[in-house]
Amino acid sequence: MNAAFLYQLLFLLPLLTAAVIACFLRTKHNLAANFSVLSGLIFSAIALFLIYVRPEGDWSVTWLTLGGSFELKFGVLFNDLSALMLLVLIIVGFLVQVFSLGYMKDDLGKARFFAGLSIFMFAMLGIVLADNLVMIFIFWELVGFSSYVLINHYFDKPSAVSASKKAFIVNRIGDFGFLLGILFVYWQFGTFDLVELEERARLSPGYLSTGMALLLFCGVIGKSAQMPLHVWLPDAMEGPTPISALIHAATMVAAGIYFSARVYFLMLPGMEVIMWVGTITAVFAAVVAFGQNDIKKILAFSTLSQLGYMVAALGLGAASSLQRHGEHAVISTGAAVAMYHLTTHAFFKALLFLGSGSVIHACHHEQDIYKMGGLYGEMKITSITFGIGVLAIGGFPFLAGFFSKDSILHLAHESDFNLVSYLLFGTTALTGLYMGRLFVVTFFGKPRSAHAERAKENGPAIVLPLVILGILSVIGGYEWFFGHTFEAVIGAIPNAEGPFKMLMIITGLLFSVGGLIVGWLVWNPSKDSDTLENVAPGLFKALVAKLYFDSIYDWYVKKVQDRGALILGFLDQLFITGLMVRGTAEIIGLMGIVSRSLHGGNIGGYVYWFAIGVVVLGAIAFGVL
Amino acid sequence: MTNYSILLLGTILVPLVAALVMLGGGSLSKATTRSLATVGFSFPALASLILWINFQPTDSSGYDYLIVLPTGLERLGITLHLGLNGISVPLFFLAGIVGLAAGLYALQSEAERPQQYLMLILFMQSGLMGVFASVDIFFFYFFHELALIPTFICIGVWGERDRHSAAMEMTIYLTLGAMLSLLGLLAIYFQSDASAFNMIALKEAITTKPIEGGVQNVIFGLLLFGFGILVSLFPFHSWAPRGYAAAPTSIAMLHAGVLKKFGLYGFVQVALPLVPLGAVHWSNFLAWLALGSVVIIGLITIAQRDLKMMVGFSSVMHMGYCFLGVACVSILGAAGVILTMVAHGLTIALLFLLGHVVYRRTETFEMADMGGLVRQAPALAAIFSTAVLASIGLPGPGLLNFFGEFTVFTALWDFNEAFAFLAVLGVIISAVYGLRAVASIFFGPHSETFAKHLKENAVKDITVAEKIPTFILFAALVVIGLWPRSITDDMNRALEAEFKTIHAMLATLEIQPDEEGIEIARTAITQNR
Repeated sequence: MNAAFLYQLLFLLPLLTAAVIACFLRTKHNLAANFSVLSGLIFSAIALFLIYVRPEGDWSVTWLTLGGSFELKFGVLFNDLSALMLLVLIIVGFLVQVFSLGYMKDDLGKARFFAGLSIFMFAMLGIVLADNLVMIFIFWELVGFSSYVLINHYFDKPSAVSASKKAFIVNRIGDFGFLLGILFVYWQFGTFDLVELEERARLSPGYLSTGMALLLFCGVIGKSAQMPLHVWLPDAMEGPTPISALIHAATMVAAGIYFSARVYFLMLPGMEVIMWVGTITAVFAAVVAFGQNDIKKILAFSTLSQLGYMVAALGLGAASSLQRHGEHAVISTGAAVAMYHLTTHAFFKALLFLGSGSVIHACHHEQDIYKMGGLYGEMKITSITFGIGVLAIGGFPFLAGFFSKDSILHLAHESDFNLVSYLLFGTTALTGLYMGRLFVVTFFGKPRSAHAERAKENGPAIVLPLVILGILSVIGGYEWFFGHTFEAVIGAIPNAEGPFKMLMIITGLLFSVGGLIVGWLVWNPSKDSDTLENVAPGLFKALVAKLYFDSIYDWYVKKVQDRGALILGFLDQLFITGLMVRGTAEIIGLMGIVSRSLHGGNIGGYVYWFAIGVVVLGAIAFGVL
Repeated sequence: MTNYSILLLGTILVPLVAALVMLGGGSLSKATTRSLATVGFSFPALASLILWINFQPTDSSGYDYLIVLPTGLERLGITLHLGLNGISVPLFFLAGIVGLAAGLYALQSEAERPQQYLMLILFMQSGLMGVFASVDIFFFYFFHELALIPTFICIGVWGERDRHSAAMEMTIYLTLGAMLSLLGLLAIYFQSDASAFNMIALKEAITTKPIEGGVQNVIFGLLLFGFGILVSLFPFHSWAPRGYAAAPTSIAMLHAGVLKKFGLYGFVQVALPLVPLGAVHWSNFLAWLALGSVVIIGLITIAQRDLKMMVGFSSVMHMGYCFLGVACVSILGAAGVILTMVAHGLTIALLFLLGHVVYRRTETFEMADMGGLVRQAPALAAIFSTAVLASIGLPGPGLLNFFGEFTVFTALWDFNEAFAFLAVLGVIISAVYGLRAVASIFFGPHSETFAKHLKENAVKDITVAEKIPTFILFAALVVIGLWPRSITDDMNRALEAEFKTIHAMLATLEIQPDEEGIEIARTAITQNR
């Protein structure tokens, strides 16, 4: 079968699904949901065929051509890297759709929700398959749009409305740099096409620059929520939990990592800065996670932290050996390792988010972990799968997270940046600890609220995805899991050997299991309040406030931007409308009086005024010669 | 001359005749008025669609459907010379589509004396079609005036709020702008050796004997101020938001969506090919004013609390992108201007229309007095937010807007990177005001005022009658957005020819290289930026 036809089908399916729901099924909620899941199933089947069979064929359509070389195209570039990302997208995407059947069962906006999911799948597919920078940017904005719509799902809540706005605007700030970066690339290399760009960048590396790399990286900072544009992601938890799992943990926020891997050759000169941004984000988010009591917010900060790891890996590994696989599939070690962690993270973080969704659903939308507790007794499957997720993210030996984290730390260890190595290493200890706190307080001790007391395990639509993701979180890191299908990515990952490997196993065991034990000892689940809050209230307050980034930005928006806009508006009224226009009206009025005495009519005044205006502006035109 | 040329003439004559019947036919019955108006609005739209689809210039001038009618003014070089080229076709279509949508919405309006109201809009429609169909520059200008005068009258008679002072301010400003542009256009004619006052003759004349550099600067200067005022270039913008806020909805749609584009169209079709050295001379100055439009007006848009004023200011801001494209003096820049014009014309018409649809439900334009409207009007909420997202250049519904802005930005980067940095700031600014507006109108809890209003009035979702013009505008926006080649291929051909003329002109000027700045101009233009 020709690949072009399959690509077309792949793009059309989710788009048509969304259109059909929007036009015909707006009030037929269950039908819309089932239709969407069915379409998701076909979508996944076609994608799997593309990933594993790799049929021949290209698909490219020209949107427009102007003045010779300026060509905007819609096209597909399919290689091992995009295949891996597509695999992640369909696995998590489909499981989240199934989960949503249960989770969104009685939601009043169910049809809208599933239409939004379909638009997201469409937009994300575009980023994964795009063969040029402009198309990536277009779909990049589109995922932002679907994210906006889905965060805004509970639009009666002012907090959800402002979170959706914040997500979109903060992303646009990143896109500001991204767009300029694309323009920079175009005027240096004369094309937007990824394959041609790679060729030209290799032939004339002198055209690359740090500025270009960092402008492009701005887009990544926005989409993958790196410091200092991380503020939107924790707020985005206002959206329904399945959305948090799919969009704000597993796929969309990882799009920045995928993009960097895709164009790593343009990013090379900026890699040191990129590495530091990632490292700082990883540490910062892990620290702030200790001050959150909302189960989803804790997971959001852990997502930030893990994204920081991926970005750091990009930066760390880029300079080391480049490996060539196949014709177009060149990838740097750093990009390969980042993609590896992206994949395993997608599994265990989706698991954790969906697990939290299962808990929230059982507790009637209670999200405060100090109002949960004792859930282990009634929710065995959720608890056990959640526990697997906690161990996987903590780096428990031979679970998925262990391997990928291991390779990132290995890269850091091999590099010249000792400080980065220590910071990333230390953060794994923090990860084990805050996840331990989350797990212990949520599932153990006594129920701390009426909702928690009445909590029951959920139905199969919710539990089944948890089990599948639990299995993937165990096996998703092994080489045999990937086979040779993604060789260009997986084959480029360096393997730690000897004493470093032993060190990793020991510390992995120590940090993940130790995190749980210390978590239990420090945040005793039988207590009703947070230990850190009692011991160091000042520090805890700062952590609750997310170290004041949001407050500073709010201050800027309210006091600087909005006030500045008001002042400009006032000046516009005063000088341009007031003095220039009203002033002239006054003059006209005066002239009217004068002319009335001459002609007895007001119209004459305007004629005079026009004549004078023409003379004045003519004089300016001549004068500026 | 073909049958299509007759169709082209018909787009001007049909609404004109309908208007004249209403003017001279005494008091017509409601049904007669409505059916006359429906024909008058539908015919240009359908015809423009047919002419767009069949457009295939064989003439070396790049024009198709040429038709020349005597006027008795041939001694002055004036004939009714109509035709379309790759640059005017998309705008001609825009005029037809926005005219239809605005007309259909005007038919639903509860304006007093509907016959006069519709008559004036039909006059306007006739003028709008004429502007983009004219090859002759006298008629290009004449049709603009034909459309402009009903605008003033409609605002003065059927407007809202401080309609008299807004109409007066608009009249003063726009008449001044129109006079300056006329001066500039006449100057081109008299400075060239052209046999007739039309674009084809002028281009031919100028290729063989260009206007001298210094004179070009003066002419472009006149056009810059003239067209600038007409298109609400910063700081000559203050008429626009106030005027649109006061204008009846259909008038705002037609003026902001189509008529305002006269000046920009004049830049691309007339000024750039005929006085390119003047354009290069003024380009920095123009770019700074345009950046003022994008950044300063953009920030002022954020401060607006009134929905209609906000839409008006946002329109001024988006015109800034167009002026930046003009300032680039390049194929890419000019193409970006036209793409942005078409996209903006459709979206701004949508926003004025939907803004009024919202007003019908809230009976206020104060956004703080709305809130939570989505519960009463979910479909309106979806349509309105899609329109806003399109206007802020979100690919998807606003794919065409994105292509336009992106093309301008690309051209601008090559002109001056720093300008590109400042211009792209608009991407953030527009997201701020757009999303805030959507949020405060539709989401969150009802405001106190709106809650009180809801108690006393039944508020319904968008009606079918309101959906029809909305759908027409959206369909045009999305179809051209998905398939921009439907306009860019012809446009590119026309622009390449235009810039070839410019190159030829520069080659001629090489004989007299004493003009200051020519060297810079030549390198700038020949680099094909």
